Amino acid sequence: MGRTIVVTAGKGGVGKTTVTANLGASLSKLGNKVVVVDMDIGLRNLDVVMGLENRVVYNIMDISDGKCKINQALVRDKRLPGLFLLPASQIHTKDDINIDKIVEIISTIENSFDYVLLDSPAGIEKGFESASAPAKEALIIVTPDVSAVRDADRVIGILENRGILAIALIVNRYDINLVNKKKMLNANSIVDILGLDLIGMIPEDKTVIDSTNRGELLINYANGSFAFKAFENISRRIEGEDIPFLNLNSQSKGIFGLFRRRR
Amino acid sequence: MNLFKTKTTSSIIAEERLKLILVQDRSLLPPDKFEQMKEDIINIISNYFNINTADIIINIQRESRKTILEAIVPVLSVKRTTR
Repeated sequence: MGRTIVVTAGKGGVGKTTVTANLGASLSKLGNKVVVVDMDIGLRNLDVVMGLENRVVYNIMDISDGKCKINQALVRDKRLPGLFLLPASQIHTKDDINIDKIVEIISTIENSFDYVLLDSPAGIEKGFESASAPAKEALIIVTPDVSAVRDADRVIGILENRGILAIALIVNRYDINLVNKKKMLNANSIVDILGLDLIGMIPEDKTVIDSTNRGELLINYANGSFAFKAFENISRRIEGEDIPFLNLNSQSKGIFGLFRRRR
Repeated sequence: MNLFKTKTTSSIIAEERLKLILVQDRSLLPPDKFEQMKEDIINIISNYFNINTADIIINIQRESRKTILEAIVPVLSVKRTTR
């Protein structure tokens, strides 16, 4: 049986969808069968971030409404063996969601995959509830700013109340130069404040925007980038490997940093 | 004004503000739990005092560094059984 992990944040715009897509890709590269599920009913975006928008036929609400089978709704990413997308509906609203049905669908999918990553919508309302209800584990995404950290704290409280205790933190859009100048919250401070285990820091990296513009995943488009390396490390930590954190200071040193890092 | 005072960096300010905000956020009870707590308090007090439940005021006040639970309970008399 696979692991079902919700990727959530509370605040919008911190990178839940980008993280879900690229983490899904990295996990599949490690030989896993992965499905990424867009739980943002009515505002679907995981399909465009992955560049799969033209291949969407059915979606999770169609399964829930009995209009199609699970297999018919899954979109296989042809670039990566083992990576699948289950799209959200664009015409429904969160009110149309039947949470029990969603839990049932995900637990069926769980049986034939190694990982089910649920891309949660922003907020703490029904959309978030239906994204977290099927999950046993959670990844909290924060950007290093006061509003993202505050919202994350609220979401962590709700998840813990629901019995999801395996929660790890990803600090996204981390700018080591600003951190060094003490103009950006340090990842360690965020860890202290939220009391979670840090599973990775993803550096602010222009290749992320660039690849998303093109509907490409970092693994295919910018696999030499620091952001890609960060995703790769996070996915290996999720698999249980003990991988040291990237030295992001070498990011600003250009190509020499990369060489030195590889040793 | 102290000319030698070093300017606090914004990340430190952010950290301190967050710590304060979260202490407050975490002390908030959801409305249903708050009502439940109110009822529990009233039940306990009425074991010892005769009180008029309608006169009771219970609220949570937040000041800059602490959260205070305040209960104003006008007592009518001591319960006969406890005297």
